[in-house]
Amino acid sequence: MRVMERTFRGQLFLLVLCLSVLKGNSRYIENNDISRDELFSLFTSQLKRETPEELIYRRPLRCLDMIAVEGQFTFTTANPQLSCAAFFMAEPSEVISVDLDNVDIDCSGGDFITVFDGWVVKGEKFPSSHDHPLPVNERYVNYCDTGAPRRSVPSSQNVAMVFFRIHNAGSSFTLTVKKHINPFPCNAISQSPEGSYTMVIPQQHRNCSFSIIYPVEIDISEFSLGHSNHNNNDDNFPKRSLPGCTETEDFVQLLGGRGLDTSKLLTITDFCTSFTGATHMKVGCDNTVVRIVSSGRFVSRVTFNYRLLDSQELQTIKLNNVEDFCFNN
Amino acid sequence: MKLNLFGTTVILLVAFLPRHECRAVDSRGGALRVLAPQTPNSQQQQQQQQQSAPILERLGEEYFVRLGNEDSNSLPSSSSSSSSSMYPGGAPATYNRALQLQLTRRLLQGKVGNIRALFSGFDDRGDESMERGRRSEDPAISLDLTFHLLRGMMEMSRAEQLAEQAKNNEILMERYGK
Repeated sequence: MRVMERTFRGQLFLLVLCLSVLKGNSRYIENNDISRDELFSLFTSQLKRETPEELIYRRPLRCLDMIAVEGQFTFTTANPQLSCAAFFMAEPSEVISVDLDNVDIDCSGGDFITVFDGWVVKGEKFPSSHDHPLPVNERYVNYCDTGAPRRSVPSSQNVAMVFFRIHNAGSSFTLTVKKHINPFPCNAISQSPEGSYTMVIPQQHRNCSFSIIYPVEIDISEFSLGHSNHNNNDDNFPKRSLPGCTETEDFVQLLGGRGLDTSKLLTITDFCTSFTGATHMKVGCDNTVVRIVSSGRFVSRVTFNYRLLDSQELQTIKLNNVEDFCFNN
Repeated sequence: MKLNLFGTTVILLVAFLPRHECRAVDSRGGALRVLAPQTPNSQQQQQQQQQSAPILERLGEEYFVRLGNEDSNSLPSSSSSSSSSMYPGGAPATYNRALQLQLTRRLLQGKVGNIRALFSGFDDRGDESMERGRRSEDPAISLDLTFHLLRGMMEMSRAEQLAEQAKNNEILMERYGK
């Protein structure tokens, strides 16, 4: 009897242990699957989030288009379309993959469909060459190139675009747009003129930019280098003999300008000392960028809010500033 | 006892099976449902253009006008409209005229970027930029858009996304919210 009790207690202990292991993953065995095949869904490796065919969003693709939803977009034309582009946009924490299907174009006749990893406007690219992991020529993938991969590759950030040129009437192609979670977002363009965001670079030697293509008031509430806020007496934190951030390898820049390329924007201010507390700035530029430069030695984090400046505030800023470059206050 | 052992084994198997990240299923609706106000008629549209309303609002209205004709993706027969080189998606005549007025106004204000590119149909510029690209080893395919137009397009895409999300939420509530 006692042996049976001990055995039962051992099994009960094992059961409790297993349940506590599952605590963080209990959703896996919870029956929250909404597919019909509920019984077998636990044992299949098929991703539950595959959208059923009948529920995929579809609409025609325009010659100049911007798409922020997943779905299928088909371009057809009765006339030559020689300069077309479709912009894709997702949340800052997502990346985009673009698949080409049912492509019926005449590559030898000058047609092309080129997917670009980022955005290009007026010759300026986002992310800039300094901030993107790939060289520029690898960011363009032309469908008509013989060596071009047919399988889609997700973008490196939340924006991508497709350029296409169609000479012949009746040519067509379909773009399938999907979004994927990016666990470590680096470069991003804000979808809206208002919001808040936290940029984190987890000990990587890279530069990351968050671009807001609106004139905004920006409020940087926190900037930290390292695992905790440093004070200036920390031996691991570089001591600076010159003012500003010229000597440091880790800092945050606030940039402003009229273009998309962050390397061509002007530095409004920069921060290289950790701080907690609001720093307000009104930046009347077409493009406002918060950029982190990281050496990889620290975990860099910056948190900021931003809101759109109204016309009156913009006018006030313009009147108060002597310099001509897109006004800041 | 055997039942306990069996139950424990099942739980262990389930716990350590290879798992995939589970997230809520996002189902997608079918045709886009227009949630915008009613399409203004051409007279109202022209009156609004006489006012100094921001271009953004007018782009929004025109976007909803085009949603009503979403299956018309063919060019208009006349190529005289220079603005159709930017928006050749089969827009109605009022839309073309509205866009021309806006672009003209902005041109007079000196706010538009590269007019030549916008109105010349980019062909030559595309070739030029391609040649420049070859010389500098940079593909250099680009589009000349002002930030103002880019913002307008972002607003429209955001509205489309919200409309689609609302439709999906409604479907999910109908199916599983009862």
